[in-house]
Amino acid sequence: MFSFMGEITLSPPQAELARLPVESKIFLEGPDGSGKTTAGVARLLGLLERGVPGASILLLVPQRSLGQPYLHALRTASLPPGSPVALHTLSGLAQRMVELYWPLVAEAAGFAHPDMPPVFLTLETAQYYLARLVRPLFDEGFFASITLDRNRLYSQILDNLNKSAVVGFAHTQIGQRLVSAWGGEPGQARVYQDAQECASRFRQYCLEHNLLDFSLQVELFVRYLWPDEGCRGALLETYRHLIVENLEEDVPVTHDLLAEWLPHLDSCLLIYDQEAGYRSFLGADPRSAYRLKALCPQRVTFTGSFVTSPMVIALGECLGRALQTGSQAPASPPPGTSETSDSLPAYQAALSFEVQRFYPQMLDWVAGQVAQLVQDEGVPPEEIAILAPFLGDALRFSLANRLERYGIPARSHRPSRSLREQPPVQCLLTLTYLAHPGWALPALPTQFDLAYALMQSLEGMDLVRAQLLAEKALLRVDGQPRLLPFERVKADLQERVTYRLGERYEHLRQWLEGYAQAPAQELDHFLGRLFGEVLSQPGFGFHANLDAGEAAANLVESAQKFRRVAAVGLADLGKPVGQEYLEMVQDGVIAAQYLRSWRGEAQGAVLLAPAYTFLMSNRPVEVQFWLDVGSRSWYERLYQPLTQPHVLSRNWPEGKHWTDDDEYKTSQEALYRLALGLLARCRRRVYLGLSELGEQGYEQRGLLLRAFQRLLRAAPQEASGV
Amino acid sequence: MFKLRPRQEEVLAYPGGRMGVSAVPGSGKTWTLSLLAAETIARGELDEDQEVLVVTLVNSAVDHFYQRVRTFLEQRSLLPLNFRVRTLHGLAHDIVRERPDLVALGDTFQILDERQADAIRREVAQAWLRSHYAEISAYLDPNLDDDRQDTLFQKQLPELATGTALSFIRSAKDERLTPQRLRQVLDGLPVPLPLAEMGQAIYSDYQRALEYRGAVDFDDLVRHALHVLEWDPDLLERLRFRWPYLLEDEAQDSSRLQELILEQLAGQHGNWVRVGDPNQAIFETFTTANPEFLRRFIKSPGVLARQLPNSGRSTQSIIDLANALVTWTQSEHPYEFARDALQEPLIQPTPPDDPQPNPPDDPSAIRIVLRKFTPQQEVEAVADSLEQWLPDHPDMTVAVLAPRNERGKEMVKELLERKIPVVDGLLNTTNATRLSAGALNSLLQHLADPDSSSKLAKVYAIWRRGMEEEPSARVLLEETASWLRRLKRVEDYLWPQLGQDWLAETGLGETAPRVHAELEALRLVVRRWQGAILLPIDQALLTLAQDLFTEAHELALAHKLALLLRQASNLHLEWRLPQLITELNAIASNERRFLGFSQDDTGFDPERYKGKVVVATLHKAKGLEWDRVYLMSVNNYDFPSGNPGEVYFPEKWFLRDDLNLEAEALAQLGAALNAADSWYVEGAATRQAREGTVRERLRLLYVGITRARRELVMTWNTGKRGNCTPAVPLLALHNYLKERQDEAAA
Repeated sequence: MFSFMGEITLSPPQAELARLPVESKIFLEGPDGSGKTTAGVARLLGLLERGVPGASILLLVPQRSLGQPYLHALRTASLPPGSPVALHTLSGLAQRMVELYWPLVAEAAGFAHPDMPPVFLTLETAQYYLARLVRPLFDEGFFASITLDRNRLYSQILDNLNKSAVVGFAHTQIGQRLVSAWGGEPGQARVYQDAQECASRFRQYCLEHNLLDFSLQVELFVRYLWPDEGCRGALLETYRHLIVENLEEDVPVTHDLLAEWLPHLDSCLLIYDQEAGYRSFLGADPRSAYRLKALCPQRVTFTGSFVTSPMVIALGECLGRALQTGSQAPASPPPGTSETSDSLPAYQAALSFEVQRFYPQMLDWVAGQVAQLVQDEGVPPEEIAILAPFLGDALRFSLANRLERYGIPARSHRPSRSLREQPPVQCLLTLTYLAHPGWALPALPTQFDLAYALMQSLEGMDLVRAQLLAEKALLRVDGQPRLLPFERVKADLQERVTYRLGERYEHLRQWLEGYAQAPAQELDHFLGRLFGEVLSQPGFGFHANLDAGEAAANLVESAQKFRRVAAVGLADLGKPVGQEYLEMVQDGVIAAQYLRSWRGEAQGAVLLAPAYTFLMSNRPVEVQFWLDVGSRSWYERLYQPLTQPHVLSRNWPEGKHWTDDDEYKTSQEALYRLALGLLARCRRRVYLGLSELGEQGYEQRGLLLRAFQRLLRAAPQEASGV
Repeated sequence: MFKLRPRQEEVLAYPGGRMGVSAVPGSGKTWTLSLLAAETIARGELDEDQEVLVVTLVNSAVDHFYQRVRTFLEQRSLLPLNFRVRTLHGLAHDIVRERPDLVALGDTFQILDERQADAIRREVAQAWLRSHYAEISAYLDPNLDDDRQDTLFQKQLPELATGTALSFIRSAKDERLTPQRLRQVLDGLPVPLPLAEMGQAIYSDYQRALEYRGAVDFDDLVRHALHVLEWDPDLLERLRFRWPYLLEDEAQDSSRLQELILEQLAGQHGNWVRVGDPNQAIFETFTTANPEFLRRFIKSPGVLARQLPNSGRSTQSIIDLANALVTWTQSEHPYEFARDALQEPLIQPTPPDDPQPNPPDDPSAIRIVLRKFTPQQEVEAVADSLEQWLPDHPDMTVAVLAPRNERGKEMVKELLERKIPVVDGLLNTTNATRLSAGALNSLLQHLADPDSSSKLAKVYAIWRRGMEEEPSARVLLEETASWLRRLKRVEDYLWPQLGQDWLAETGLGETAPRVHAELEALRLVVRRWQGAILLPIDQALLTLAQDLFTEAHELALAHKLALLLRQASNLHLEWRLPQLITELNAIASNERRFLGFSQDDTGFDPERYKGKVVVATLHKAKGLEWDRVYLMSVNNYDFPSGNPGEVYFPEKWFLRDDLNLEAEALAQLGAALNAADSWYVEGAATRQAREGTVRERLRLLYVGITRARRELVMTWNTGKRGNCTPAVPLLALHNYLKERQDEAAA
């Protein structure tokens, strides 16, 4: 082992890679956990140490979380002072280039107002515009034969556009591609034509209004900016060194771009994980990535694992066989490979499980095992990950709650959480209605909404008093909500609520009424003021409440983003943007979701996460718990009636029908990759949470469970169970 | 290992292919089928990924079946693998889940339960009625006065329209017609069919409402499953490999689509065993089930026909009575159309040395009471009889079986008033489930009305339930609750301001420290619950449940309820606590059967209730048996025979010409689909429906009789209007018994 810059310990192959001459173009491949990222980090630090300016290095990642090890190293390493290294995803780079070179390409790309600045849409705002275009089409019979909630319908249309952009085909081919692969009832193919029509209309609308959704950003970059000499020249000049992490998780147009870019670079390091490809539903294409190997003169392959123990490796081998070969081959390892001398499988120490009858019993067992690990065996909580294929709210809450009873903190990572569901946001929405009585939907806010808002906004307000006050204080004047001044509340009720709380109520009420009487401000400004001037002050509920503060900040940000882009289309409707925003949030059209930051993670907490999210965080742990092992969600792709990631990929032969065989093979491959990917990120042991009846009360028989059954059946009985 | 009857051996010697088994009540068909499943697995021919698929009728039978097969396998030292037990809906769900995209479903599609679907249908039907006054008025009795009509539009007509829409939509789905396709069919007709128009309009709006929610109902699930199998030969092939043996129980209640699904899965040369008793087909009226499917199957070429005619359940006399009903129906029923309602095989007792011998015969233990009772008198007479019988038979089981739920409830009420121990889990959601849901509901009610001291006292009682069995604790509980009820201002107890702590002011700390401690502990826990109300409903409920329940099945139920309320809340974003309480209340107060996790939810066992009276409907009693059985209301209203003057429940008094609107609507649907062959004639469907009812009710009576092991009492009443007479088959059976007695005496 070698110490690099006194900070990273490297194996000989890693050290060798880091020491390769600056002007090297390297393709590094290897399995999960073989030390590729560490080598990549060492390479980056080495470049900087050897005087390569940070600003000339581009770190390209498929999603920002995968750049964390690099950012962490850059923050902590003792490096010579210099310009910062750029970290981008394809879309980040695209957006930046579009911002810089908009006037160059806007007209050629067909935008109606090239002289006006572009408006970048978030997923939320793109969905909002799309909803406005599509809604009237339902009455014309669009999508009549599918059963899908509206928000998913919109997101799938957007997804099709995104696929066309990242795979690199014209958005006008979406419908035709989907139809030609459709093998079901012919009439059903019509929905693909409907989806095409909506995508085309949306694209047209974006071009007319200078709106850029993700797909347009990428297309603009790939089709107009990159071929433009000036733009390309600037990029080539700026970035002379490229490090691409998880190349296999990136999309084909990124690979195309890289293929053209590589010859012009001074150096590159392309890191390819041999067994991954987890983001294929987002367009990731390992096969497309692998062709770049031919363009790199230096090719390095890492083997083995720095992460997992021999027992976990043995478990991976056996499980892999059980998954891959199905019932055609024995799941136990061939003689002499992973067996121990007493014939118990070598993975025995890496696998624990217990079968429970009911789902909550299984959760109890999991919490108990975690407590034992933490309290008796001294495993740090952050070294434990509880993973499920799908982490629903009830499951997340139940687990966190059980762990809390053992005094073990938990944190959860889900890609997104709906703002609307958070109590502080509900409180803010209620107060917003009261400050904008004309915006309120009929019957909103309810007396319950007000009571809960009072509980949260006034320090010391309890449910009993909040309910008593809300019952009397919420009035409707001409159908609009109004709050009764505290002095006009009956004396005995005043006394019950207490004058101290009454004062706080009155302060809040007067502030809201004062606001309502003044000229209206933008919603995000209003929320900012409400938080700053009232709620965060001593005596009010958000004072010193960090969670509530964070929720408020997220709501402000969401409303602000919405205002910035939605004002374009709303000007002609004569409706306040804030009102539209509230309606959309209440209606669920805008889910008001935000991506949770992966930074600032709480240390000392057990991680609860969906399996894929955990994989993409690329952080190994000591112990993993796998829940819902019988569930199909471990391998099933998201079934989306309006889109199909495999059919829209570059590898799908034109005109070929998507069959059940394809479905089954894809599922099996996905499960194989996922299970082994998880094991590659587990150092010591996997616990299986098994319950005969699943969360909904039904038995489950998914492929993963069946693979474990095969594996255990092949092993002596002692190997199974805790 | 088991001593098998020769006929059971014949079934278990199943060589593969198609086999149809006619079984009689009590012949152990479920047992035999479970054994067949276990033996098939034990032969070791199945691949690891293959399963014997058992399809049964109702959820409660699934677990029962599963445990039986599991036991048989364990007796052979085998792991409980390689089999799967499903209801039709469960199977359909499994199939659709394989490829939801093939039927244009997203991966997160929701399945609405009957109540949710019914609420949507009701809403849609009401909207239709509001805008189609003239169309529906054409079916009303012209002699109704205007006031009466107004009332009808408020209450009865929405109910009728909703019920008719249910049957219409179900049949349309059974025919695999989308609303759009049906629209095209109706548009092509030379003459409009008003009820089919109504059905189509409601169907269309209902389906749109489901699609908007990303949801399907149970009928959608079944038709989608069939579509998936038909459209994807590869998937079908994979499923045929996975399920090389299909064992179907209760096949007499199979619907056309169920038959088609299983036919697809079995393939032309597959292994498919159908077991059932066409004489026990009693779900025709409510569903698209039909015993003819099984009868036809058994007679088909290439199908091995087997019988399980031996039953050790009942005494010889009861067997004879049931057989007498079959032979009387076949040869003496006054109407030809009814004579095929019950068919052979007749029930035979078990052979000598059978492990399940028939109970010793006692002809006097069958009583057909022809005394003329009013409905209330009948209830009282049965209660009187039970009052006498129960003390002498503490180790025996007894059931009172009624043709309708309401009648069962009247019986329960009477028994409760007389303090006779009664079990009504088969009428309703089971007690355990109801109590758990009720406990959570009480907590939510407190949270919705936290100022109420009586609700707080109730919450306390629930929190400490289980302690009241201890006499010393009971006093403490009562005293604490009484302090709570006396509370004037709940906030001064739960959230006291400085110097206003009600609990401190009571001085209980010194005078009654145990009560004080109770109130102190309650205060802490209620504060936590009140804080939890800010959470989304599922999380709030789970928080409450964790403090309230300790039993695994209760916690599992709470988890399921939490998901259910979350789903309801997602479907109705405008709902707040009161609406969610109503939803939970529906489960707690029986309006809605909800499958929980207690033993009764997963398979009712009458043996657990010796010395208590089980009250159930005849439909729910299927598959069960008791030592003594009372069959109530065997009159010509609940068991009509086709005689003039008989009243049929589906023929509403406010409709003209005694029309059965539901039957007429279905006939119009049929006519629209087969316009080339025959045309709709008003009234014909009503008459046919009557004939169907007569046949089904004969089978229902047969089911009732064959629930009894040793003793049977049958009674009738004169009905609400006092004009009902004993059912014709009841009189026939009475005559039969009398002749037997006379013969014996002679």
